[in-house]
Amino acid sequence: MDATTVLAEINGNIATVGYGLAAIGPAIGVGIVVGKTIEGVARQPELAGRLQVLMYIGIAFTEALAFIGIATYFIFTN
Amino acid sequence: MFVRILKLGAILAVAIAVIGGVVGFLVDGERGLLSALVGTAMAILFTGLTAASILVANRFSGTEFFTAIFFAVVMGAWIVKFAIFLVLVFLLRDAEWINPTVMFICIIAGVLGSLIVDVVVVATSRMGYVSDVTLPGE
Repeated sequence: MDATTVLAEINGNIATVGYGLAAIGPAIGVGIVVGKTIEGVARQPELAGRLQVLMYIGIAFTEALAFIGIATYFIFTN
Repeated sequence: MFVRILKLGAILAVAIAVIGGVVGFLVDGERGLLSALVGTAMAILFTGLTAASILVANRFSGTEFFTAIFFAVVMGAWIVKFAIFLVLVFLLRDAEWINPTVMFICIIAGVLGSLIVDVVVVATSRMGYVSDVTLPGE
């Protein structure tokens, strides 16, 4: 076999890469959401209750993305 | 409010399970029905876990380490939830009694539905605006 084709050979299901990619986005998203909430609470502790609720919405949306990303495993076959 | 999110989420889960179950049954018989039920249960359980973890974490409000405990509980539940979800997906993917397509659609319907419930509940509920500052002399 030609050496150049052997160099780039990948075995198995390429969808595996997708799980990694699906994890990166929500990880960054939740990191920002939580980090900014902590920042906000540190600046104005009396707003902690409201910020908590808004943080919940932020987490819900980012985790929805992660769930859909991981669940795509069901439809990707080989 | 988080209790209301969980309650409405449960109602939504029943609705999606019924519709998905009927459609799944028509598409793929018992296999489709079962996939729809399991998919809906997974979606609602895993999305509801965030609200439940916040409820649990708020029990520690007023304690000295509340902020640390709060984020530990909420983020901890989040990461454990995803680990379990990943394992479940890997296990169920090749199970013979599962129709992957029906399950995938039900999971997406459940996740999107729970997002709608979250937004509606938060938008229509009153948010506490209470300061814990004590004035000198109090």
